[in-house]
Amino acid sequence: MSFKQWLAGIGLAAAIALPASAQQGPLVEAEWLAKNLQNPKVRVLEVSVDPGVYERGHVPGAVNVNWHTDLVDPVRRDIASPENFKKLIEKAGITKDTTVVLYGDNNNWFAAWGAWVFNVYGIDAKLLDGGRKYWEAKGLPLDSAVPSYQASKYDLPAANLSLRARLADVNKAVADKNATLVDIRSAAEYSGKIFAPEGVKELSVRAGHIPGAKNVTWSKAVDPATGKFLPKDQLAKLYASEGIDGSKPVITYCRIGERSSHTWFALAKILGFKNVKNYDGSWTEYGNTVGLPIANLSGTVWNGK
Amino acid sequence: MQRPFAYLLALLIAGGLAYGVWSLAGTDSASRALSISLALGAMFGAVLQRSRFCFLCHTRDFLEEGDPRGVLSILLALAVGTAGYLVIFGIWMPVPSPDRLPPTAHVGPVSWVLAVAALSFGVGMAIAGSCISAQLYRLGEGSPTAPFALIGTAAGFVLGFLTWNPLFLAATSEPPVVWLPHTLGYAGTIALTLVTLIALAAVTLRFSRLKRADNATTLDIRGVLCAVFVKRWPAYLGGIAVGTISAVAYLRVAPLGVTAEIGSLSRTAANAFGILPETLYGLDGFRGCATVVKQALLSNNGLFVIGLVLASFAAALASGEFKPRLPRFDEIWRGLLGGVLMGWGAMTALGCTVGVLLSGIHAGALSGWVFLAFCFAGVVAGLWARRRFAF
Repeated sequence: MSFKQWLAGIGLAAAIALPASAQQGPLVEAEWLAKNLQNPKVRVLEVSVDPGVYERGHVPGAVNVNWHTDLVDPVRRDIASPENFKKLIEKAGITKDTTVVLYGDNNNWFAAWGAWVFNVYGIDAKLLDGGRKYWEAKGLPLDSAVPSYQASKYDLPAANLSLRARLADVNKAVADKNATLVDIRSAAEYSGKIFAPEGVKELSVRAGHIPGAKNVTWSKAVDPATGKFLPKDQLAKLYASEGIDGSKPVITYCRIGERSSHTWFALAKILGFKNVKNYDGSWTEYGNTVGLPIANLSGTVWNGK
Repeated sequence: MQRPFAYLLALLIAGGLAYGVWSLAGTDSASRALSISLALGAMFGAVLQRSRFCFLCHTRDFLEEGDPRGVLSILLALAVGTAGYLVIFGIWMPVPSPDRLPPTAHVGPVSWVLAVAALSFGVGMAIAGSCISAQLYRLGEGSPTAPFALIGTAAGFVLGFLTWNPLFLAATSEPPVVWLPHTLGYAGTIALTLVTLIALAAVTLRFSRLKRADNATTLDIRGVLCAVFVKRWPAYLGGIAVGTISAVAYLRVAPLGVTAEIGSLSRTAANAFGILPETLYGLDGFRGCATVVKQALLSNNGLFVIGLVLASFAAALASGEFKPRLPRFDEIWRGLLGGVLMGWGAMTALGCTVGVLLSGIHAGALSGWVFLAFCFAGVVAGLWARRRFAF
């Protein structure tokens, strides 16, 4: 064995032995992941919503997760059932000591939803900072082969529902002001000027926001050039300026609950706030609920069109 | 046009296309897709022009003159593309699981509406003189009919949007979307496809009246240049190239199609004039040449079509086949009428001879075969009508 090979062997062994210590936080860097693709203790999953994105090229070894079927229960409008979720992670070969890394298109929106669901089921999933966009911009390798891993056995704990807000929790927060509501949609959606963002069908018959909610658009937490989260101190400053500093429980919401998972991740995982819930019913539930008052600064009224 | 000037212009266009491909390619996958769309469009245009790959002309050559080469090249394109698609499916979806379709492949709904649309498309192409993809390459040759056929197509698309909702409710909302690998598996699909294509080729050859093809090339520089740039490429070469481009396009960007951009332009314009229905039921959920109200100037399909037309123009200049002239009155109205029928058919069928027939059969979609059958029937009827009523 030449000295060079010997050195490379040491490096490889170190890389395999030290995955967790190298990436302790909730985010992993693309550069680190690129060096750990062969690491059997790291499992990468892609959650993209644009069809064909995964198939035409993904992070080598990444497992495809279909948001519309794998992570939700379309019949109940619910997060994936424990049975289906267990199947998904066992098929991906995930065990208790696997470092799970999620990434996806659209600024990791749906990957962040995935990370939230994984956390609800007790798996501390990390996000690839910057998602697909940053990985591609760095010119890191893509692969079109679909990997298959030896299935694992995973003893799934009961869902941790403290990460999830239901309509009753939101109503209580509005009435008792015991939690801060964060509306992470655009300012125009928040004020009620528009019913849904451009290119998306209107799914709520009212525009506006939940009374008392603060508006911190999700994109403010992201560096637009790289798609990465802002550094931790800047994130803390951003949310503190709206009075969100972790001293009070927080409930995040958006339109259908996926962009708010992104903010949930920033608050709960990056800033480490203790009591942060994602309200996945979000505006399509609240805005449509009969008998619940809303705040609509623009005074728009739905006219059936 | 003076020959040296034509060569220079062809060279400039080729250079411009190469520059476009190079400058569009950025670091993200979206700009890479734009770049490769332009490149594939240019290849497609050059192949169509050089081999005169045209669904109508090939069928007409066979029906009226007994020349089987064109029809054989279409069958060959279908065989090569199917093989290419199955290689890709084997990687992307190793198992054709019953609840999933291969991403973005043109596996469309099958109903009587598809049959009527394909029939209309067939009649339209017989009247206009060629299908939409061939009109595009003929635009590059300075065809007098092509501009009118494309205007007619855009108008036909608007008609299609207007009739979409009632037809959708009547038939398309719950039609079977049949993907052959779901029932036959991949092996069964390619076996059935190839056996069917071989049978069609045998029938074609049985009725061939052309016994000997002469396409010898002198093997010196002049002879080879002449074979590449001036003489018509042998039909089989066109067939193999079309099938290959189709599979590569699916691998890298999206299934081949030439009507998405035309349809999107119509939809955007009609939308601006406020004549479209508020909602087109379910339209954006189907597989096929999807139309959208345009938000960005550059799109994959738009660049593909631009590349197609420009490369065909350059190829026609080089071979001396760029022969623009003022249209006759009958060319104008035949273009418009045929275009409207094709546009309505392409909108309603979610694509044309390229997007549904070629990309559909390649993907193992029953919708592609249904389009083939009814489009052929439409062509036969249209050609008969033109002979019978002499127009």
